[in-house]
Amino acid sequence: MTEQGETGETITILLVEDDAPTCWRLQDALVKAGYEVRSAGTLGEARAALAAGAPRVLLTDLRLPDGHGIELIREMRQRFPDTEIMVISALGDEESVISAITVGATGYLLKDAFPTDIATTVRDLVAGHSPISASIARFIVRRTQGAAQSSAEPPPGPVLNTARLTPREIDILWGIAKGFSYAEIASHLGLSKQTVPGHIKNIYRKLEVHTRSEAVFEAVQQGLIKL
Amino acid sequence: MSEVAAKSPAETPAEAPAEAQPRPRRRLIASRLVPYLLLQALIVIATVLGLRLLQPSDPDDFALSGFSLRQDGVTLPVTLPHFTASRYSVDDPPLYTGSFTFRRGEAASGWSVYLPRFSNAVEVAVDGVVVLDSRRDANANRPDRNTPQIAAIPASLLREGANEITVRLFVWGPLKGFLDTVYVGPDAALRPAYETRTLLFVTLPVVFSAWQSILAVILAIMWLMRRREPVYGVLAVAMVLGVVQAYVPPPVPPAATSRLASVLLASAPIESALVVMFGVLFFGWRWPRYGMLLFVPGLVVFVVGLIGGPPLPRILFLVLGIPTVGLCLLLMAWVTATAVVRRQDAASFTIGCAVTIVLVCWIRDMLTVIEIVNTDRIFVSRLSYSAMLVAIGAGLTWRFARALNQVDNFADQLVTRVREAEERLKASFAREEERARAAALANERTRLMRDLHDGLGGQLVSIVALSERGHEGASITDAARAALKDLRLVIDSMDDIGGDLMLALGSWRERASAQLRPHDITLDWRVATPQGVPLHPELRPWHVVQIVRILDEAVTNAVKHAQARRIAVTIDTFDAGQGPYGVISVTDDGRGFAIAGNGEAGRNGQTARGLRNMRNRAARCGAVLDLSSDGSGTRVRLQLPQRFPDSDMAAG
Repeated sequence: MTEQGETGETITILLVEDDAPTCWRLQDALVKAGYEVRSAGTLGEARAALAAGAPRVLLTDLRLPDGHGIELIREMRQRFPDTEIMVISALGDEESVISAITVGATGYLLKDAFPTDIATTVRDLVAGHSPISASIARFIVRRTQGAAQSSAEPPPGPVLNTARLTPREIDILWGIAKGFSYAEIASHLGLSKQTVPGHIKNIYRKLEVHTRSEAVFEAVQQGLIKL
Repeated sequence: MSEVAAKSPAETPAEAPAEAQPRPRRRLIASRLVPYLLLQALIVIATVLGLRLLQPSDPDDFALSGFSLRQDGVTLPVTLPHFTASRYSVDDPPLYTGSFTFRRGEAASGWSVYLPRFSNAVEVAVDGVVVLDSRRDANANRPDRNTPQIAAIPASLLREGANEITVRLFVWGPLKGFLDTVYVGPDAALRPAYETRTLLFVTLPVVFSAWQSILAVILAIMWLMRRREPVYGVLAVAMVLGVVQAYVPPPVPPAATSRLASVLLASAPIESALVVMFGVLFFGWRWPRYGMLLFVPGLVVFVVGLIGGPPLPRILFLVLGIPTVGLCLLLMAWVTATAVVRRQDAASFTIGCAVTIVLVCWIRDMLTVIEIVNTDRIFVSRLSYSAMLVAIGAGLTWRFARALNQVDNFADQLVTRVREAEERLKASFAREEERARAAALANERTRLMRDLHDGLGGQLVSIVALSERGHEGASITDAARAALKDLRLVIDSMDDIGGDLMLALGSWRERASAQLRPHDITLDWRVATPQGVPLHPELRPWHVVQIVRILDEAVTNAVKHAQARRIAVTIDTFDAGQGPYGVISVTDDGRGFAIAGNGEAGRNGQTARGLRNMRNRAARCGAVLDLSSDGSGTRVRLQLPQRFPDSDMAAG
């Protein structure tokens, strides 16, 4: 069984994870699902692996022995805009995941996820769906509330510009944060169920910091880069 | 004056006990009054001496004293200075005739005739040609101004040798006519004496009046801005009256001037009454109602003058006005003396001395009028009065400025104090905040420790135990997953969800779904109302942890012990008339378990412990847990409180 993209070729995944057992675990699950997986334990190895060509999917841990996964995500985003990027996280805490989202990642994969869930998540991602967890949605909508109330003091945590989100998108995020399914959200908001993933993709795109200078600024703000 | 008024009770500590002990009080008065009176006596002597020294000297070399006076058809020789009887008609005035010798070679300059003092007006003719008529000079027509006159004698008039000079003295009563020594001589010799007198008796009053008018404006403005201090207004009115009086053209018979103008000349009694009023108010006393009687003589002069016309105001002025002025001066002297005794401050001393000087001048003028003292009929009361007013006005302005400075200082002090207080407050606030933060941190730490101890700690210990026992696979994996799930729950509960429990339930749904998926159990999620459960602003992370753990326990029981295929979570809001409350139900289609009489599941020890835990947790949050179980499934109903408790109800 081999997972294939629209054009028929095998889907390649670059897995960047420094903890070997976790790496094996994820790799096993993905290989079993039919993906072609290249793994790297450090940023350097990941960059070397990229020399061979762009993967379809990048799954990366954030804390790596020789740097931060955010750097890799940003490089990836610039060199290979078509690659889908997802963060691997032990806890799925907003702090690190939101930082990754602002540089171009789409959601996160828990390191202890069940193999079937791992395969499903990656398949959805390749199919163009952008998974978003309730806690991430909650973080984003709480941030939009904070921005509406007062901007006197920036809220703690990563910098997130929610100004571009439309009220409809914020409504969708509220629904996700409260645990509603896409179908439930669609019926509450009077949408077709099929349009919800598109909205979520838009949300991801809008949260991403686009220009290089913006990205540097954000990185400095988040303490990822020291000038 | 409020400042002075405020000072007075503080500075008269003797006042209250004085009633009981009259002797010390009398001694105190004496000890204060005697030095003051001695000082006033010194001032009287100094004033008298000063007035004598200030008496302008005249060029005696050119004096003409021997005249013959023709009056009422009688001619007799007189020596100047000379008084004539008071009269009320300007027809046929007393005519003084004298002669002087002119030698053309003596002086290169022209000759003049100089009259230092006369009342009320003169017409001077040399060899029958009129060279001077003082009635044309408004200043000269005021008997209180001591105005001198000088006139150049045209050279063509003067004959070598003896020349005749005649002086017609116009007198309008009630004062007697007066003609001082006449001087005829070279202009250069006479002019300096004339200039000195003009400076003293014409220019100086004008300067004082101008000064007075400026002060009147300033005081009036002060009064307008501070209505509760009428003392400024009183003094301003007194000054305005004085200024008007000084500039009103004096009436000259037979010319018809307005009666108002002639009456205004008699303003002195009103002015003096105003000054007394000022004194009383200035020293912080109340102006008694009967004090208004002091204004009566002045008003009588005023009204009668308006009705009767000249010369009535002049007569009344002499009869009523001048004694009133004297009375007022005496009252003022008494007021200031009292003030000196009570207050012993610079203001009362200064004003007292000024009053004494004016009083001396007034007495001297009176003596002049009744010809007891020969002073060449120079009146100095008005001059000294003006000087006093100007001094008082300047003093008041100075005090006002000082008060402003005090206000500034006070404001500065206030600003400093407020800043200090603010800083203290800020510091204490910061301390308080720091303490509160520390307390919150400690609470949070305690909470976190308890949460970790309850969940993660136990699970990790269980993993250790299982590994040591050599267990393989599933049980260790389960324990580790449970530990991870609990860690995520604890982390998740730290997030600020703004009292919306639905946000916590949303994350829990994700975790529960992930947990159930490998077991092939469906999680039905039903939210009955759009809101889900009501908002709870008082919701704290530890409430969330307890609630989610109850739900976790319910789900875990359903998976592990009931072999359920389907778990339904229903979230609803009810309102039994006492406010809305949320209810979360977890229902499974498993095989259920038997509940013992005491509500405990008896069959399985682990389940029993789990159920007890659930109840405990519910109780800590003020929630009500309801369990029902039979062969078709188990239902856990968690009824949330309307208000979550602030403190852990079952803590410890």
